[in-house]
Amino acid sequence: MSDRKLPRLLQTPAVLLLLVWMLVPLGMTLYFSFIRYVLNNLRRPEWTSPSLSNWRGFGNYEFVLNSKDFVLAIQNSLFIVVSILFLTVILGVLIAVLINKAFPGQGIVRVLLISPFFVMPAVNAVLWINMILDPVLGLQGIAVNGINDVLDNLRTMPVLGGFFSLWPEFEPISFRATQTSAIAVIMMVTWQWTPFAVLIFMTSLQSEDQQQKEAAVLDGASVWSQFRFLTLPHLGRPIAIVVMIQAIFHLSLYAEIEIVSRGNGNKNLPYLIGEFANNNIGAASATGIFAVILANIVAIFLLRMVGKTLME
Amino acid sequence: MGRIVLNNVTKSFGETQVIPPLDLTIEDGEFAVFVGPSGCGKSTLLRMIAGLEDLTSGDIEIDGENVTETPPSKRGLAMVFQSYALYPHMSVRKNIGFPLRMEGLDQAEIDKKVEAAAQSLNLMDYLDRKPAALSGGQRQRVAIGRAIVRNPSAFLFDEPLSNLDAALRVGMRLEISEMHERMKTTMIYVTHDQVEAMTMADKIVVLQAGVIEQVGSPLELYHKPRNVFVAGFIGSPKMNIFSGPAAEALGAHTVGIRPEHTDVSMTEGTWKGTVGVAEHLGSDTFIHVHDTGLADMVTVRISGDISVKHGDTIYLTPQADQLHKFDAQGMRVE
Repeated sequence: MSDRKLPRLLQTPAVLLLLVWMLVPLGMTLYFSFIRYVLNNLRRPEWTSPSLSNWRGFGNYEFVLNSKDFVLAIQNSLFIVVSILFLTVILGVLIAVLINKAFPGQGIVRVLLISPFFVMPAVNAVLWINMILDPVLGLQGIAVNGINDVLDNLRTMPVLGGFFSLWPEFEPISFRATQTSAIAVIMMVTWQWTPFAVLIFMTSLQSEDQQQKEAAVLDGASVWSQFRFLTLPHLGRPIAIVVMIQAIFHLSLYAEIEIVSRGNGNKNLPYLIGEFANNNIGAASATGIFAVILANIVAIFLLRMVGKTLME
Repeated sequence: MGRIVLNNVTKSFGETQVIPPLDLTIEDGEFAVFVGPSGCGKSTLLRMIAGLEDLTSGDIEIDGENVTETPPSKRGLAMVFQSYALYPHMSVRKNIGFPLRMEGLDQAEIDKKVEAAAQSLNLMDYLDRKPAALSGGQRQRVAIGRAIVRNPSAFLFDEPLSNLDAALRVGMRLEISEMHERMKTTMIYVTHDQVEAMTMADKIVVLQAGVIEQVGSPLELYHKPRNVFVAGFIGSPKMNIFSGPAAEALGAHTVGIRPEHTDVSMTEGTWKGTVGVAEHLGSDTFIHVHDTGLADMVTVRISGDISVKHGDTIYLTPQADQLHKFDAQGMRVE
């Protein structure tokens, strides 16, 4: 046996396992996406079991592309992911820089900051949509009512009352509506994932070279210039990592969307798959293939970006 | 341009006073070296001059102007750090140009000054490289370049050569000395290496535990150390210092004699001892002598070569006019 064969042989089980792990589900999804396969159909009972005789070609794909929710789901997937990434990175950098300097109670503040990350996604969604964002019972409803009460009182004032009566009555926003449910999802996921970004940025900030900062101080750099020219480049790599990990996670958001609006006007690709999978496995599989393609496109962009920062 | 005066300067970290009240004047154009063992406060003192550390009390004047409350960037000083402190994401060109960019100069002028500095430091071929792609000596040059372009009234060096290998260190030492000769700018240089201090300085400031032990030219410190600490710190190999009966016989509490001021004979002399290790350097021979009754080990330096081997009996005679005598407090007596 040559030198190369033995290591190859020893690697085989792991490689085989990975292949089976990835290729079998992918192969089954591809297979289902090309046949008619439904869970329940009284008129055509032969479609309820997967079989090549039910071949449909690209029919499932056409069906998915023509379904009214598909474009919305793609747009929503990207809108939600990009918004969350944008917000978590900005908030994460700001908070990490803010708590990087030593101050009394630093330990407690850090633990509190991390805690949203330990909340389960479904619990997070229930908390936000019912207790915070609800237009009647949530903090939002209470706060809007309070502001309106204050305004009512101001309107009764002798002179300035006239000015305040020009102000409109504030209306609480319903976050379960078609137009706003995506925003509710973005808010709650941002709240939950900002701590992750803070954690990663904070560790990175602690490895920042202090002498570089001192040199910059002597070179006349303002606090902003130090942040812009030293801290931000230093954070390039962790930002790339946070973006990549979060993109992978948030492309598959499901629980939040289910709880906020049951997908009403706010579907993403995983949610659309779930809806199809209630009965039409063929269409769900075709959507799954679209999701794989979307994830790959996103991944190519992200890998380019990460690769670029890692090369520097 | 660049006379620095410290008046009654102190520094405490919490309860611990690391620098007791201290006065020091560094004349314009002078090359001053702060030297002392690690933890003696020399770097703290430099950082206080730079403005990176606050003074607990006292004040600092540069060119007659009180700068105690002036922010570091407005003091007109440039500093070179031990770790170089280059900005890792910027090219050499951007690194050197950074202080000018912060000053708000226009790009053409920045380019001109950066290239002039790079020219004088032999960095022209590396201008577009990142610091990570440079050797230690080149990085040090970039750090110096970044200091030069600001045209400061004084340069501050914080152990700039400690991270370089021995050969490079000698080369850079010469370059910095030449730079000082050329620019005639005040330089303050912190090191723990007394060889660097002796070779580069116009004025050496020996520090121990935040206290100035002696200020003087290298040869002053060599010939007339004010106390036992300076005597032992300046000079290589170290001065042999001993007290007890042998010292009293010479009329002092403590006596020091430099290795190069001791004559050696195989037959007769003042002190008798046994040869330990003999280090033959070709030009010199260092002999470590034991059992002299003076100190654990006495080092002698002989010009040229001498054939002694381990265990030989040897006689040492100090050159009488080169003896350093100290009283019970460790202060020099003439």
